[in-house]
Amino acid sequence: MGAGRRTIKFIIILIVILILIIIIAASIGAAKVSLKETSIIIISLIPGLNALVDSEDLNLQDIAVISTIRLPRIFLSIFVGIALASSGVIFQGLFRNPMADPFVIGVSAGAAFGATIGLLFNSTVSFINISTTTIFSLIGALATTFLVYAISSIRGKVAVITLLLSGIALSAMLSSMTSFILMFQSHDLARVIFWLMGGLTSASWYKFSILAPTVTLLIMVSGFYMRDLNIISLGDERASQLGVQTDKVKRILLVTASLIAAMAVSVSGIIGFVGLITPHIMRLIVGPDQKILYPTSAIAGGIVLLASDTLSRVVLAPREIPVGIITSIVGVPFFLYLLIRTKRKVF
Amino acid sequence: MGNSISNIGTNNSILSVRNLNFSYGDNKVLNNISFNINKGSFTSILGPNGAGKSTLINIISKILGKFEGEIKVTGENITALNSKDIARRIAVVPQSTNPSFGFTVEEMVLMGRYPYISRFKRETKEDFEVIREVMEKTELTQFADRKFNELSGGEKQRVVIAQALAQDSPIMILDEPTSHLDINFQIEFMNLFLKLNRREGKTIIGIFHDINLAIQNSSLIMLLKEGSIFRFGEPEKVINRQNLNSVFHSDVFVGKNPVTQRMYVSPVFDPYYSTQDYQAVKPVKVHIIGGGGAASPILSLLHHHGYRISCGVINTFDTDISTCEMLDVPYIVEAPFSPISIISRNKNLEFIKASDLVILPEIEFGNGNFSNLVSIREALSLNKRVLIMEGKNIEKRDHTGGKAGKLYRKILEEGACVIKTHRQLLDNLKTDKPDNIYRKELNQQRI
Repeated sequence: MGAGRRTIKFIIILIVILILIIIIAASIGAAKVSLKETSIIIISLIPGLNALVDSEDLNLQDIAVISTIRLPRIFLSIFVGIALASSGVIFQGLFRNPMADPFVIGVSAGAAFGATIGLLFNSTVSFINISTTTIFSLIGALATTFLVYAISSIRGKVAVITLLLSGIALSAMLSSMTSFILMFQSHDLARVIFWLMGGLTSASWYKFSILAPTVTLLIMVSGFYMRDLNIISLGDERASQLGVQTDKVKRILLVTASLIAAMAVSVSGIIGFVGLITPHIMRLIVGPDQKILYPTSAIAGGIVLLASDTLSRVVLAPREIPVGIITSIVGVPFFLYLLIRTKRKVF
Repeated sequence: MGNSISNIGTNNSILSVRNLNFSYGDNKVLNNISFNINKGSFTSILGPNGAGKSTLINIISKILGKFEGEIKVTGENITALNSKDIARRIAVVPQSTNPSFGFTVEEMVLMGRYPYISRFKRETKEDFEVIREVMEKTELTQFADRKFNELSGGEKQRVVIAQALAQDSPIMILDEPTSHLDINFQIEFMNLFLKLNRREGKTIIGIFHDINLAIQNSSLIMLLKEGSIFRFGEPEKVINRQNLNSVFHSDVFVGKNPVTQRMYVSPVFDPYYSTQDYQAVKPVKVHIIGGGGAASPILSLLHHHGYRISCGVINTFDTDISTCEMLDVPYIVEAPFSPISIISRNKNLEFIKASDLVILPEIEFGNGNFSNLVSIREALSLNKRVLIMEGKNIEKRDHTGGKAGKLYRKILEEGACVIKTHRQLLDNLKTDKPDNIYRKELNQQRI
């Protein structure tokens, strides 16, 4: 009976872990700031709580570094992680397949294609506040998603296999088109590749202020359909027999999950494996009930990406590794482990 | 409660279907179907693959839309009901279910409460009370925290039934719920369904792979043929050889279980001999001596292979009589437990005269039917071929104090041919060779 209480317990634990990692991440970097000072600075930045701490003897430069450079990046990476993991949960549930991830239906290839075109413009058009790459990759991701969706929906019904196949087909075509463009723009090659590897280097509060509310809203909307998603894992027909409006629910979840993934990809590039693996880790801990899995995986996604991004800043400091490399290097062994387990029919 | 066929009335109807038509594209699957199902009845839908059984129940449970006609569930038009409304009225038990993630038994059963829970609310105490009851009823209480995927096939199906029961619906549709289970689970689940039907008044509509399972438990049978209702009524009125033959296009035997007095259906022939090689090539007429059911296997064997057959003399209530009636074979009957009269014996002789050969199955002889043996000897004297099925020693079958045995041996000496197996019988019927030569060959084969 304590499903609700269990959810709250897990969420509290995860938020505590998240706060600890935020403090650690904010203290790490070229300018050394102690954990205690970092904590004080962060508290002092929160409206309403700033009266609690004495911010008199803080170094102004440290405050500036943390509030304008480190925190935007930290919160952006948390929300990208949240976005990837939550859309991963939905895709795995919808496709009834633990190998699904936010990019299965071509969001990544669409975003990459958009980003490439954006980079072309960027080199000729002058600087805009939010980069053309971001806008173009968002357009690319959304356009691909809707195209794939339009191809595979027949009279309101979406065939999962058709969705996967058209996603794969369109991804392949878009990747080739991306390569084709890069043939003639070889000086942009490095930038595109760096973008494709995923990264949060260009983080800003502005990006965060667009991403966070959108992703939060989309997660809240889709969150109301988690009981339905549980039942859809029995198959569409069985779900309908139990009273689920299968087609409508699938449509809502597909659209929200794709939007969430597209938002994440447009600000951070393609960061693999977070969306695949976080739901799996959480499923091992909290069980398969989507009602618990969804919120806990979302927060865990934030933790995973924040930790990976912090690692990417630290490992070869002062150089940075694209965070996609860190998530993949940790992610691939875990993925293989899952494959072996699946082969042994644990799932 | 279960057999509420007597009080047919629209006010008692829980499901009514009027002029239902349904097509997949150009392929018409259901053709002008109309029927009425009463509260508390147990109906089985029978028909071959492709007759439209699954389509029909999918339309009733609103899985498939866009049909023509009118369907009313508990008096309401289903087009006006949303999917949760339907799930509160109709629960479906599928053949099996296969969740892609490792839910526990309790989580699975709780899914059955979906139609009662608002999207924005949690499960209530009442929901948990219902699933507790349902799990008790299906003996799942001790499995509550077990992973569904780790259960055996039968236990999994119990969870599926519990899930459907949690829907707390007046109507339950069974879609071949036991077809892949062992007989112990088949019996367990049928008993459960009957209990639900009789004690709780649940209306049950079932598709069963097994015709016997259906007719043993149903108060009504619907025979579907090519998308239309062929017959709909009580099992006794619907299940007979002609109806099953025209619906399933195969020959079956309809008998009565001597213990339960319920009907049962089984294939008529032994499929081992059903090859084309043994079909009668010319119109051979065979007369078979009956008694004690010993003639039945030969009757159906020869009937199936296209021979024209007759049977005699048999007493009323003999199993051989039901076989003859089933196969439309002419036969000579004697009053129950009475010795064969002169009239019957003469009729028998007429049948023998009209036949090409006579078969004596492995029957028991008493003073009552001794004259059948006499008729065999007369057949030999009429130069008819006589084939004798022999397995058991004649002494053991002789209840006349040696009289029958003596005559039997005499018949053997006078040229009757002994057949050991059905295959030999079919071989013998095909051959044109005189019996003495055939018998020699047979003996050589044995050596």
